[in-house]
Amino acid sequence: MTINEIDLALANRASGSPAIESDVRVEVASQWQLMWWKFKRHKLAMFGGTLVLFFYLLAIFAEFFAPFQFTTYNDQYVYAPPQMIHFFRDGKLSPYVYGYKFERDPISYKKTWAIDESVIVPLRFFNRGDPYKLWGLIPSDVHLVGPVNAKDPFYLLGADKSGRDVFSRIIYSARVSLTVGLVGVAISLTIGILVGGVSGLVGGVLDNVIQRLIEVLISIPTLPVWLALAAMVPLSWSALRVYFMITLILSLVGWMGMARVVRSKFLALREEDFIMLARLDGVPMGRMITRHMIPSFLSHIIASITLSIPGMILGETALSFLGLGLRPPVVSWGVMLQDTQKVAVIAIYPWLLFPAVAVIIVVLALNFLGDGLRDAADPYQ
Amino acid sequence: MADNNNTLVQVRDLKIHFFTNEGTVQAVDGVTFDIRNGQTLCMVGESGCGKSVTARALLQIVHRPGKIVDGDIILYRKRSHNQTEEVNISKLEPKGSVIRSIRGKEISMIFQEPMTSLSPMYTVGNQIMETIRLHTKADKNQARERTLEMLKFVGIPRPERIIDEYPFRLSGGMRQRAMIAMALSCNPSLLIADEPTTALDVTTQAQIIDLMQGLQKDYDMGILFITHDLGVVAEVADNVAVMYLGNVVEYSDVRTIFHDPQHPYTQSLLRSIPKVTATREKLEVIRGMVPSPFRRPSGCPFHPRCPKAMPVCSQVEPHTIDLTENHQVRCLLYDKSARNSVREMAQ
Amino acid sequence: MTEQTPQSQLSPAVNNGQPLLEVRNLKMYFPIVKGIFGKITGYVKAADEVSFSIRPGETLGLVGESGCGKTTVGRCIVRAYKPTAGNIIYRRADETNVDLAKVDNKELQTYRKDIRIIFQDPFSSLNPRMNVYEIISEVLRVNNMCSPKEMEYLVANTMEQCGLRPEYMRRYPHAFSGGERQRIGIAHALVTSPRLVVCDEAVSGLDVSVRAQILNLMEDLRRDMNLTYLFISHDLSVIRHICDRVAVMYVGKLVELADANTLYTNPLHPYTESLMSAVPIPNPDVRERKNRIRLEGEVADPSNPPLGCYFHPRCRYARERCKTETPVLRDMGNDHFVACHFADELELVGVRMA
Repeated sequence: MTINEIDLALANRASGSPAIESDVRVEVASQWQLMWWKFKRHKLAMFGGTLVLFFYLLAIFAEFFAPFQFTTYNDQYVYAPPQMIHFFRDGKLSPYVYGYKFERDPISYKKTWAIDESVIVPLRFFNRGDPYKLWGLIPSDVHLVGPVNAKDPFYLLGADKSGRDVFSRIIYSARVSLTVGLVGVAISLTIGILVGGVSGLVGGVLDNVIQRLIEVLISIPTLPVWLALAAMVPLSWSALRVYFMITLILSLVGWMGMARVVRSKFLALREEDFIMLARLDGVPMGRMITRHMIPSFLSHIIASITLSIPGMILGETALSFLGLGLRPPVVSWGVMLQDTQKVAVIAIYPWLLFPAVAVIIVVLALNFLGDGLRDAADPYQ
Repeated sequence: MADNNNTLVQVRDLKIHFFTNEGTVQAVDGVTFDIRNGQTLCMVGESGCGKSVTARALLQIVHRPGKIVDGDIILYRKRSHNQTEEVNISKLEPKGSVIRSIRGKEISMIFQEPMTSLSPMYTVGNQIMETIRLHTKADKNQARERTLEMLKFVGIPRPERIIDEYPFRLSGGMRQRAMIAMALSCNPSLLIADEPTTALDVTTQAQIIDLMQGLQKDYDMGILFITHDLGVVAEVADNVAVMYLGNVVEYSDVRTIFHDPQHPYTQSLLRSIPKVTATREKLEVIRGMVPSPFRRPSGCPFHPRCPKAMPVCSQVEPHTIDLTENHQVRCLLYDKSARNSVREMAQ
Repeated sequence: MTEQTPQSQLSPAVNNGQPLLEVRNLKMYFPIVKGIFGKITGYVKAADEVSFSIRPGETLGLVGESGCGKTTVGRCIVRAYKPTAGNIIYRRADETNVDLAKVDNKELQTYRKDIRIIFQDPFSSLNPRMNVYEIISEVLRVNNMCSPKEMEYLVANTMEQCGLRPEYMRRYPHAFSGGERQRIGIAHALVTSPRLVVCDEAVSGLDVSVRAQILNLMEDLRRDMNLTYLFISHDLSVIRHICDRVAVMYVGKLVELADANTLYTNPLHPYTESLMSAVPIPNPDVRERKNRIRLEGEVADPSNPPLGCYFHPRCRYARERCKTETPVLRDMGNDHFVACHFADELELVGVRMA
């Protein structure tokens, strides 16, 4: 003891000890704190993480953030183009958008829209608009922003073929599209950890059989399987049942990769000295797995989950786009993109592609986030 | 350190710093030594003393974020019979053509773990032949001849079979031999050996040391031998540089270092090793441990652990003092002027 | 294999007090598995007919080159592996014997706290995700050995004995240097007040100055806590320093076992002699006088050892008999055991004195 005290005293004196306090912070830091410090240094991942958080907040409070209900339509304003929001009028904070005027093309008699700068649509924050029930429970009619006069047109990202607000529908869609990713990953994670854990811990013949099975399954092309399975979903099913069926179908493919990761982690850990020491301490199997092994690779698992959510989101979008996934009246980004299947539509009403932009942003953000998490996952190098 | 024309490499006041997120680490902080033709300089020290970094600097292969910030590494290249040409390696571009013509040709290096420098993808023979063909004008057949000769030379049995083997098929000792064969294939004037026997068993270690000493005689090459094992030092060294936290704290010939060490660190180090010849008795220890490189103590970096530390040691950084022509020590015990100047300042 | 085993000849050890642990004809064969159907194509004989005993309070050294099976023997004793055959007779505190090689996992738990192990690598042997208190106390917790209050006291006490500041028990391993981590490893082993500690290359990864601290600490702890050590190392100087008796292994077999002084100065097995000759002596004056024995060839493959004496292809004294007949470990008097046919005739030299 005395030697150590002398050392510490000497070390303190020698270094003038300004660093000591921050060092202690590092020394008592658990792995999650170390990971957070490392993650914070990864700028792109922080940016991605913020974006992901933002999108999930949008999805959770969709009713509040969306100016309208996703079913609200106005047949006067079919295919109205996006409006630009202005915040100041006459030097005062008073948001507004310009109204529309429409003309008939003299040759094709098609309706074409133009922004009419003479008509001003006043907006209001925390506006009372369409009534809704938040999460189906709390009745309210407050929206973040909306037109003061409910009949006025307000289409930030334009309107679709029924005169519904694309912006509102994108926000509601986030709820479906983003949770499909989460639920799907949760299911594939559960199956993956179970199968991978059994494979890695039991080993032997069982491990061999499971691995060969996974190899066979993984070699089947994904898209045809999805299509076949999705096509089997009966048309009479309710939207909710279809939703869960689709997530299940998506996760059927995801679990195999997860199982392999978990198995390899268990196999590698079995050889670790500290695991052998724990075994010699007499740590029982259950505690060994939960207390000693899983914490060692949980961070890796979280990182790989984050990286597998985009696949799920893209899968859902693809299925719904092809009409095999979710069906109206449920909205998801894929469902919304069904409207863009005709080239002519894209050429004339390009704002219908905004759901695709949302998909791209979310997928990129999740990838950035996952990258950062993966780098931070092992803070002990 | 007397200059004579036998000098192969002169390192003067070499400083290598590592620029990390947490701060700058002075891994090597003003190191000076000579390596002479046909002699072995042993660099000995504990982990983090900067011995490996110094060795890597001689080839300009310091890992990032390390950088040579100051100092000279003068290599005397033999040009013809009586002519030498001086190159300052520390000023060369790490990716330039000059240093590349030196690496593997005039200075070659062997490592603790041969697998780090032998590619698992190519046969042993292929790799040695490539080194030969890179630096000489030998054609394929000549290179193969030379490779076989080298493999036989380093004591590899059945070289004509081993030449077509992949490195992972060889045992640790055989791999290290193959490494040495590769390092010597172009007749270098300096061989840097970074802990070449640390991963090997004693009997294999003895074989490799014998081999290196035999080869040194035949080739008249200088060897910079890095190790933490004082037993190995006593076996191979002509001169010894003892390093601590980026400084050479003592430099002398091997007898002086072992029989008449002057620096307290050298003295303690020698007393703290268990000896195979002595029965059990309490070992003398150096108290504490090597400080973190981020917390380099002020003054003499050894003072918090030094059994002979004086109050002045925490304030003044010692300079290298010549005790005799071939014995330098970096300690305030031998530096009256520095101690006096502090005393005057205090008064 | 001959049943003429040295256990009866080991009786001198037994006479002056019962041994704490007696290893008899220990065999540990690892199957070599090939192909996806798990076909066993052969065995690595990591330990083959190893017999020795450890007396209470002594430090027995187990020395040999990499792959000689010394680590395997250590791990069999702590029952990290279940031996293929043989006995590990452990003498309990109540003076009754139990064969650790035969007991089932459940019964084994009661001996796990008596026989502990310290590993070589202080970095891989501590779980980076648990703090020092959790690491050291885990064995107490899972075996319900004491109340939480006592646990904290016991851990603090053990840490202090091992030269660690108890205030640091909430810190994580990454906050400690190699030497301190090894102290944590020692505290982890000693917290149960064991009777036998297997030290598997416990100081090999450490710096010279730290190694001396740890060696002294282990020596102090042995005295203070009445410990018995099985000290496994490849470093002959360290073994000489800390051990009372030393056993030498070569390719899974015990070739020589003797009192440390005798073994180093007067070895009887040619392999021991060549080991002694290869040790670098930290004295530059010795090197001119040296007459080093250079071993030819490579260590034999433990899955395919040569016939007869495993050492004969490299032995400079080998004769015809060595190629066919496997020598048995036999007593040469004075507790000196050797497995060599010609141990009586050979004039071997020990370590070169400074």
